[in-house]
Amino acid sequence: MQLSEAGESRVQGYLFVLERSLNTFLPREVVRDAVREIESHLRERVLTATASPNEREAVERILGELGPPLRVAQAYSAERTIDEAVATGRLVPIVRAVGHLASTTIVGFFAALAVLVGYLTAFAFVAIAVLKPIFPTTSASVTPPAFRSGSARSSRSHRESTWVAATRSSRSRWPAGWEFSSARTAAPAASCHGGATGAFHSKMGVAF
Amino acid sequence: MPLEVWQEQLRRGSLDLAILLTVASGPRYGLAIIQHLETFTDLVVSEGTIYPILGRLTREGLLDAEWVEDEAPHARKYYRLTRSGAKRLAHMKAEWRAFAGKIGRLMEASERHDDAAQ
Repeated sequence: MQLSEAGESRVQGYLFVLERSLNTFLPREVVRDAVREIESHLRERVLTATASPNEREAVERILGELGPPLRVAQAYSAERTIDEAVATGRLVPIVRAVGHLASTTIVGFFAALAVLVGYLTAFAFVAIAVLKPIFPTTSASVTPPAFRSGSARSSRSHRESTWVAATRSSRSRWPAGWEFSSARTAAPAASCHGGATGAFHSKMGVAF
Repeated sequence: MPLEVWQEQLRRGSLDLAILLTVASGPRYGLAIIQHLETFTDLVVSEGTIYPILGRLTREGLLDAEWVEDEAPHARKYYRLTRSGAKRLAHMKAEWRAFAGKIGRLMEASERHDDAAQ
């Protein structure tokens, strides 16, 4: 079957959407090869199709058997990204695979969100731990007012040496009601809490 | 798990073996592989999903791909089994036969038990 101009533009439109979809996650040379192969498939199908008075119907049937371009792109994405992440174990392919799962499934989205929040929290704690010896008085955590109500507030009397807010100048940088705790405040807190929790607070400079 | 999900997993799990078996008899291009699979199986639900699998098998070194320009009005990408692919196929065939044998024995035992109960 020979395609008319309308049929040809329909095929080109399909390939255009496929290429745009593949471009979002695959290297350019891989996209070029994939689109070329899909085009070869379509040309072969059209060539072997019996001439039909309704060309549009025939072209739609061929494209339908191939699948919507976004679904084909999704299949490429799944094979490529997840396979690459598992095979190499490198950070970038893993991030790409997580991004793929997050953008294609609801469970993947929430899993990716949890992973992101977890990593950011961990990074923040590590950053505080690293900066604490270098800037003992300025690298610290802030305690929102909500955390200082109830038992936390009453226990403060037991922590004699957990004095809050080093200097007025430091305090003035934070919004009203927030406390600033320096390295000096955290160490005595550790002795009150005792055990691993105390040590952890001591190291991180966190005083609740 | 719904039956459709289980069937889909079974289909996906066996597509690699089916494709390697198709290419084992000689080099084939994408559409020829699809047509061969459609002749003998109903594993191909959507033609477009076969190409990414062919790409992955090529990246894994099980298939070798080559564009042939002058055979048709358009270029065709031929796939052939590599030595590593042939080895993998032999392992997969053995594994499949052993697996099918185990499940077959299990089904026979279950059916004998059903007959005895009646």
